[in-house]
Amino acid sequence: MDDFLAADNLSKRFDGVQAVDSVSFAIRSQEIFGLLGPNGAGKTTTIRMLSTVLAPDGGDVEIGGYSVTRESDEVRKRIGVCPQELALYPELSASDNLVFFGRMAGLSGREAKSLAADTLERVGLADRAKDAVRKYSGGMKRRVNIAIALMSRPQLLFLDEPTVGIDPQSRNHIFDTVLALRGEGMTVLYTTHYMEEADRLCDRIGVMDNGRLIALGAPAELKAQVGDPATTTLEEVFLNFTGRSLRD
Amino acid sequence: MRLLVRQAFILSAKDMRVFVRDWPGMAFALILPLVFVFGFSLAFSGVGPDDERLRLAVATEESAAEESAGGLSRQTLDALAASPETDVREWDAGEAAAAVEDGSLDGYVLFPGDFTQRVLSGGGAEIRVMLAGGAPPETEAALRGLASAVAGRIGAISLIAQGTAELAGPAALDLAELGRLAEAPPLISFSIERVGSREAFNASNFTLPGYLTMFVFFIAAMSAEAIARERQTQTLERLLANGARRPAIIFGKMLASLYRGFLQLAVLWPAGIFAFSIDFGVSPVAVIGVSVMMVVAAAAFGVMLASLVGSVKSATSAAVFTSLTLAPLGGCWWPLFVAPEWLQTLGLFTPHGWANDAFNKLMLFGAQGADVAANLAVLALFAAAFLAVALLRFRSAPAT
Repeated sequence: MDDFLAADNLSKRFDGVQAVDSVSFAIRSQEIFGLLGPNGAGKTTTIRMLSTVLAPDGGDVEIGGYSVTRESDEVRKRIGVCPQELALYPELSASDNLVFFGRMAGLSGREAKSLAADTLERVGLADRAKDAVRKYSGGMKRRVNIAIALMSRPQLLFLDEPTVGIDPQSRNHIFDTVLALRGEGMTVLYTTHYMEEADRLCDRIGVMDNGRLIALGAPAELKAQVGDPATTTLEEVFLNFTGRSLRD
Repeated sequence: MRLLVRQAFILSAKDMRVFVRDWPGMAFALILPLVFVFGFSLAFSGVGPDDERLRLAVATEESAAEESAGGLSRQTLDALAASPETDVREWDAGEAAAAVEDGSLDGYVLFPGDFTQRVLSGGGAEIRVMLAGGAPPETEAALRGLASAVAGRIGAISLIAQGTAELAGPAALDLAELGRLAEAPPLISFSIERVGSREAFNASNFTLPGYLTMFVFFIAAMSAEAIARERQTQTLERLLANGARRPAIIFGKMLASLYRGFLQLAVLWPAGIFAFSIDFGVSPVAVIGVSVMMVVAAAAFGVMLASLVGSVKSATSAAVFTSLTLAPLGGCWWPLFVAPEWLQTLGLFTPHGWANDAFNKLMLFGAQGADVAANLAVLALFAAAFLAVALLRFRSAPAT
């Protein structure tokens, strides 16, 4: 399988703190890649560099064959970003939010409306499309947040903790959506603090801590490094790699 | 370039959609200024003088009994008091000098105690105009005018007195007769006619442009808070990752501020005309031109502020602080021309000051469009400077 994303020695420093330190990894086409790590490990900074909004201090990334530092416009045509925050306009309806982001991505008004309707159907919000997002439940807002990321018709989707603080029904709906997207040919980079999510969804997992990538492999491979893959949980793997000390 | 313009317009249209759904924000932008204008126009409506007579202060030294009993200065004062054009207040010479000294009186005309005697004797008398150090020029002009008129009139009587004395002897002088002469109509007289009616003083002609300027800048400054919030919720980063250009975001945000400012103009100016009877003066086009340039400067100010602040909280503080500081400095709360010179000088460092100066010239003093060309140019320079800072400093993500 070809690599759709290849990060090479990616580094970023903020005010004397090495947030990301020589991180290298690849994500294969149509793979769901989990990026795990405790708070402050450097996951979000890595995603910001991969998604072209933060320039790396060192190293580079190729996405779909284009460099994020030199060909960022081409990269942006191929990615969709669902940030950790609810990056949307609560005063507007879900439909208006999606149409706006679609048009900003270059779609015509007609294309954006059509794609917005399809996407809202996909995330189970078609019947509430015209309601202001501020009236939605937390889970519905999370689904709108994901739907917006799909409005640029991306080949690579970044999902940064997309299931924080939502009910099991919404979480399951998001899992199904992610799996369906992968089935349609999309590549997904997924970060989460819920280990069972990563275990269920991800083909491969990278574990980051203190800005460095400290483990990389399929869930079963990582479990085997720690104990019996049949009985070891991903949480045990995670704690084994990152330690038990509290983080900020 | 085409993509940038397209994205800027799409972004600004979205911001306007958000704005029109924000009813408290709309009320703050459009209703609150009218409440302020109504209240302060009412408060300032009593500022103009009810009594339009020329106010004069006159003092007499009381060293000679005939001056108070019916001498020439007494008769002059009585004649002035009878005039419908003047409001003469009599002072004791000592009290008048003290009042000038302590600043409660700008000046007065002083008749010497032996005024009549000196006039009748032909020895010459001196009417003195006493002025405070910082007396306004109009007070000096009025008192000089009074002194000159009295001197001219009494001078003529003095000549008659001298002639009478020379021909018939000093005993023939009759003070009462001279008094009648003083009261007789002069050979050459003048009259004052008021043509038409004087327009009532309308305080809204300066309160409305002042509060319009303040609220246009306030709303533009508050856009910094909205931008900081978008930065915090990662919406701006998402837009960038989605293919939006950084200048498109800045110009889009500025365009949205322009729309909001134009909406404020479209509501507040007509409300001023129909509800507060404001007068655009002889050059309404210039008033519109100044309004538009003021909105442009305010919109650029908003995006500059957004580029300088970090958190939502600091954006709110900066918006409120700058609005409440620049408004009084720039003559939004009172006309700068009545402010002390140091405040007028400070006002020149604010776009508010240049906008209000132009509005005052056009709406209060009958200036033509060409008279505010410098104001328009300075407002354009402010806008360019604000925009340059915004383009240099604008961040899409919170400071890390």
